[in-house]
Amino acid sequence: MRRLRVVWTVFYLYLKQISVDWFVIFTVIVQPLIVALLALYMLRDTEGFQAIFVIVGSAMTGLWSGTLFFSSFNIEFERWTGNLENIVGSPTHLATVIVGKTLANTTMSLSSMVLGYSLAALLFNFQLTIAYPFLFFISLLLTVLALISLGLVIAPLMATNPGATVWANALEFPVYIVGGFLFPVLLLPIWTTPISYALSPYWAARALHATSSGGVPLSDVLLSWVMLIVFSVAYWFISAWLFSVLLRRAREEATLGMQ
Amino acid sequence: MNKLIASLRIFVSGAWLAYIGLFRWTEPASYVASKVVMPLSQILFFTFLGVSATGRQTAEFYIVGNALQVAAINGIYGVTMTVGRERNEGTLIYLIGSPANRLVVFMGRATFNILDGMLAVVLGFMWGVLLLGLDLSTANLAGLSLTILVTTASTCGLGLLMGSVSLVALNVMFINNTVYFLLLLFSGANIPLATLPAWMQTVSAALPLTRGIRAGRLFVRGASLADVWPLLVGELAVGLAYALVGFVLFSWFETQARRRGPLEAF
Repeated sequence: MRRLRVVWTVFYLYLKQISVDWFVIFTVIVQPLIVALLALYMLRDTEGFQAIFVIVGSAMTGLWSGTLFFSSFNIEFERWTGNLENIVGSPTHLATVIVGKTLANTTMSLSSMVLGYSLAALLFNFQLTIAYPFLFFISLLLTVLALISLGLVIAPLMATNPGATVWANALEFPVYIVGGFLFPVLLLPIWTTPISYALSPYWAARALHATSSGGVPLSDVLLSWVMLIVFSVAYWFISAWLFSVLLRRAREEATLGMQ
Repeated sequence: MNKLIASLRIFVSGAWLAYIGLFRWTEPASYVASKVVMPLSQILFFTFLGVSATGRQTAEFYIVGNALQVAAINGIYGVTMTVGRERNEGTLIYLIGSPANRLVVFMGRATFNILDGMLAVVLGFMWGVLLLGLDLSTANLAGLSLTILVTTASTCGLGLLMGSVSLVALNVMFINNTVYFLLLLFSGANIPLATLPAWMQTVSAALPLTRGIRAGRLFVRGASLADVWPLLVGELAVGLAYALVGFVLFSWFETQARRRGPLEAF
């Protein structure tokens, strides 16, 4: 119960903080909207075009960029502002605080889906219907769970390897590609398919596209859900191990606040 | 003569140090991530997205557009950072206090970004040939090289303007990011301009890259310089106009800073 209260407090305070942060606003709102506009113009004359596919795909770009950038700097930001020692020294586990922050980041990132939907409906007058609303809602919940779990891996990974944060920029578009957010991964060389399968954003996009655009058997949706759950559980174990490494190193080397 | 040599020295050394120090290339990994992997993945993403819409036969359109768009990484981010970070690093006060020629200092900030931007665009074309099957066998390579130079320089003109704005703006990276992504939409890198609404075509005509990308596509198809030079002159003129407005703003901010003292107050 105490942990939940901490998660809620961190979530609430951090959501207030990032909702006025211009970098966050760009990453989760402006950039996905421009990507949505680009994709709508590029794809609208194709055979079998579905605007909902573009909205869901561009929202996935916002969700992934948000997860990547904010998780990369979740712990680093506390280090820069001199708060990391205080958080680690408090009775609450560092991971609990980061869960609250990651939840706030993902919530903020979800706004890109709502705004993209509004943009396509108002600006382009597209008829937007979600084929299976209930299944889509479950897919969305599992997507959020998977991305939060992935964020909990990225945060301690970047904090234990501060040099790795420079790669955050470089990892944004590759996952847009192998994640199949806006075009089928079948277009890519065959050797990239295992990379797609090994990433939870791919299964998230697959589940969301299948339940929003329709035309896919239920077994395919179930497979994506199972994969999202499997990845989430795996990420939690990896994350727990990375947090323990981070905190052990901090005690052994006394480098927690060093940048 | 001594004054000329001093100005030349300031131009070269100032440009080099600003490029290395303020564009954050002291770490090679940072350069590889931002200048090699990121542009490559962006070219791949938009090419595959375009191909999924219009078929493999149109890949050239997206490869050339996005390879030239890479120039904006240096043009916008690079130049803005080499001008604007003087304030963040606390060195703006010394720059303004120095007797160095302002035009030399200002324009010098773009120099290495133009060279580096050209390298990035060439790398973009190389990825296009090696990974996406771009055919340059009939291309006018001299014309294409000239296009790369002119387009990179013109985006740096926009960068000089953004750099001046960054001296007074609270969050210029938000503006930079937005402008960079809007260029992907308006420049014709990914969408044929004729399919855009009229107001968007008007905006795109006032932007750098638009004419450069058109020229690049023509040269890849083997067009001669005689056919394409008006586009290149137009591209250069747009870039110079932005640079000029940037310099006027820079000078105005300096005058205001001297008069009212708010140099680092923003």
